[in-house]
Amino acid sequence: MSIPPNTLNLSWTQRRKLTGLLFVLPTVAFVTVFFIIPLLMTVYMSFHDWPLFGERAFTGLKNYSELGKDRQYLKSLDFTFRYTLLVTPPIFALGFILASLVRRNLRFIGIFRTIFFLPVVIGLGVSSLLWVWMLDDRIGIFNKILLDLNLVPKAQLFLGRPNTAMNVIILSVVWKTVGFTMILLLAGLQAIPDELYESAEVDGAGYFRKLFYITLPLMRRFIALALILSVIGSVLAFDQFYIMTRGGPRNSTISIVYWIFNNSFTYFKMGYGSAMSIVLLGILVALTGAQFYVLRERE
Amino acid sequence: MNLRKVLFILSLVALVFSALPAAAQDEPIQMTMWVRAINFQTQELVDQWNANNDSQIELTIIPPGEFVTKMGAAVAAGDPPDIASIDLIYTPAFASAGQLVDITEYVRELPYADSLTPAHMNLGLYEGRNYAVPTAVDGSFIVYNIDLFEQAGLDPDNPPATWDEMLEAMRAINDLGDDIYGYWFSMNCSGCNAFTFLPFIWASGGDVLSEDYSEATIAEDPIVREALQFYNTIWEEGLVPEGASIDSGANFATAFAAGNIGMAGTGNFALSLYQNDYPDLNFGVFHIPGRDGGAASFGGGDVIAIPAGTEHVEEAWRFIEWTMSEEPQIEIYAANGQIPLRLELIDNPYFEGDDRQMIAASALAVGHTPVTPVYNDLFNDANGPWLEMLQIAILDGDIDGAIELGQERFTQIMEG
Repeated sequence: MSIPPNTLNLSWTQRRKLTGLLFVLPTVAFVTVFFIIPLLMTVYMSFHDWPLFGERAFTGLKNYSELGKDRQYLKSLDFTFRYTLLVTPPIFALGFILASLVRRNLRFIGIFRTIFFLPVVIGLGVSSLLWVWMLDDRIGIFNKILLDLNLVPKAQLFLGRPNTAMNVIILSVVWKTVGFTMILLLAGLQAIPDELYESAEVDGAGYFRKLFYITLPLMRRFIALALILSVIGSVLAFDQFYIMTRGGPRNSTISIVYWIFNNSFTYFKMGYGSAMSIVLLGILVALTGAQFYVLRERE
Repeated sequence: MNLRKVLFILSLVALVFSALPAAAQDEPIQMTMWVRAINFQTQELVDQWNANNDSQIELTIIPPGEFVTKMGAAVAAGDPPDIASIDLIYTPAFASAGQLVDITEYVRELPYADSLTPAHMNLGLYEGRNYAVPTAVDGSFIVYNIDLFEQAGLDPDNPPATWDEMLEAMRAINDLGDDIYGYWFSMNCSGCNAFTFLPFIWASGGDVLSEDYSEATIAEDPIVREALQFYNTIWEEGLVPEGASIDSGANFATAFAAGNIGMAGTGNFALSLYQNDYPDLNFGVFHIPGRDGGAASFGGGDVIAIPAGTEHVEEAWRFIEWTMSEEPQIEIYAANGQIPLRLELIDNPYFEGDDRQMIAASALAVGHTPVTPVYNDLFNDANGPWLEMLQIAILDGDIDGAIELGQERFTQIMEG
């Protein structure tokens, strides 16, 4: 056994601090290179007319002032928040139901937990393509079932109509992500000691009283985590729209990230795309802050 | 340090530098080339070049929808290919941004420079200098199913020449059966409809852009409205399959090949596909007509250019010049049903006696191509104003709303 000599001649506390610093250094370096520098770069670019190639020019706040005039940007903001509001409740309701179902450690319960969680493991791009095929009017399983049950007179173009396109995309995303919310809520459920329920039952509490006075309050932190992750994911949604509808029909499913992508890489307006990204970042920080505040642990 | 030492070192340096190019010559030049994935004969050109030359070309095929994005990113990252076959309508965007090598001096030395297809040469021209030459010529026209025409009692030797005649023919064919339709369009594909719907407007003397391409004329040109109404009628009367409304171009060429479609707008790229893969398909070709007659075509296809930043300009041009020479033009282009790039070579042994090829080639004479750096944003972008306008007018029937929206968004994009 050899302890390295204290060549730097440091005291024990100094050495401890140095060791701590060395341990976090990889993370600090990672965050700096992959988050802080790109973020500063984006801020810098947002003040410029920055084509993907060619001359760049400083334009001050022009990119930001143009945002208000961009009809599609406002439409995309509206769409993204409508989508978030519509997709979050089913994910939570279903996630909670599933978590309650697989909570007890019964025989073979692992199989069900695995089945419910499986879609989470598939990439969003892959699952979106899968749904495109399942929803197809000629070869899709959904139309086959609906036609065989005589529920529809002819094959439906689910992704071709604005109202159904949104609904089937929500359906696919709920299927894809509900397992993750289930796992988070399951952890919360299992953290609640059984004695609490038992004593409540002795006092004559029914299912809903137990739910509202024991389960939900004690799961607050887990719900907050699941909600914040889910809302951030929904606000940043892109893949499912890019793959399943290409923003259509009639440009009705262009999410905000989709519009940022289009401006940056199809119209080559990187500066403008950066400005939109910064605004979106601000919105997300505010939204997350608000959720933290509402769901904070009260003394 | 004395003079002799200095001279010695200098001569050493000179020796090393003079030896460098010689060393480079020993290694065969490796070049990269990009082309969009469409039915052009680029692979065969590259294979023949590689078999007969020291320099070697590695071909990368890129999905058409991704080409501008990928090329833009490669150029921005300073790592473009040595040779690029670019959808001709994007040439102004790349040339005006200084991303292509000026090849004016090379083009001047071509004895046949004047007979290269004018639309392509025109788009390769920026501020009086040449930046690209043609590599694939692709005009739009209409294909029609001769068997269905005969079954419906129509004269296949006299295909429709006006919009009304087209509608009548579609209705007659539609009546043949439940699964038989008069027409096909891919109404969720922006580029397909620039290629095949714009010519209906042009052939009637109208346009969506002013003559100098400086502003949108959607709202003021009555022909635009009538053309939208024409297509809206096709949709409302069920003369196209319902799935056409959401086809993003995957079935643009193949829908007609199924044999249950009376007519469809298409281009040269589809002719060789039908001839080679669907030998039983009995079809003819006619020009895209105007409302009361006339004809027009979208002069499409690819140009070939040398992206700025390559070290192999000389060798890249040697390849490009060879592709335009007579032998590959006849034995690779014409032999595979693709139109030669030089007008004097359209009369060739492979095209003789094939009316379809001759009509398709003659579409070039009425070919028209919008010249604007924002072409992609206006017409080709899947989320651009062109497709949205068409869908609202044709599928939703809101022609006024579509025209208003189209005019507004076109203007917004053109004003930058």
